[in-house]
Amino acid sequence: MNQANRELKVLTVCGVGMGSSLILRMNAEKALSTLGVSAKVEHTDVSSARSMKADVVIAQGLHTDDLTGVAPVVIPISNFMDVDGLRQQLDEALRGQGWL
Amino acid sequence: MGGADTDQPVIKAVTEVRVADWRAAVRAACQPLVDAGAVEARYADRCVDMVEEHGPYMVLAPGLALAHARPEDGVNRLCLASATLAEPVSFGHPDNDPVDVVLAFGSPDDSSHIGLLQKLAEHLLSGLADTLRQAPDQATAVQALSNVVGDL
Repeated sequence: MNQANRELKVLTVCGVGMGSSLILRMNAEKALSTLGVSAKVEHTDVSSARSMKADVVIAQGLHTDDLTGVAPVVIPISNFMDVDGLRQQLDEALRGQGWL
Repeated sequence: MGGADTDQPVIKAVTEVRVADWRAAVRAACQPLVDAGAVEARYADRCVDMVEEHGPYMVLAPGLALAHARPEDGVNRLCLASATLAEPVSFGHPDNDPVDVVLAFGSPDDSSHIGLLQKLAEHLLSGLADTLRQAPDQATAVQALSNVVGDL
């Protein structure tokens, strides 16, 4: 399955939707660009995210149970400073979904 | 209020802070900003409430928490503060406890918010938390935080 002909939609999520989710968005953009994936990354809060649809959701591990169904791929993060770890998680998940 | 000097971001730091728990740690980071008039007292309450409501998602990396709420939660001026703790406290985070550096920031509008966070993220990736941990005094910590807002 090759999905590479459309833009990946990514949501980064945190409690208030404009602090850690924004840092996570910047890190996700960096990681995705390293992977060569064309993606639209948006940040939001947990409540709003529940009613949204995306290809990938990235959030603190403690939020991911709340985000089931928002996206086929939900990536839990614990260390926001680990951009390389995020890149590896995205790499693996996107390969599994046919994006890479 | 008004005039160029009041547009400057407020930068504060407290070091070797002794607190009983994470709530006190968040308040310790916010209090200098409240004292300076950069945020209202309710901003600190809101930062604590966010963790009560959503869990310790503000704990971004091992030992590091970033306390913040929304501009409409009582922010008067762009501001950034740190509290380094003499004894780390638990926020209840599964991976990143215990926390010994708490950052707090406030921004009066969305665009300054994004600008400050971008700079903060860059500096955190380059080791800001360790710089704060190792800062021997408040002036050194304030200088490290000033570098974050210096190129806004």
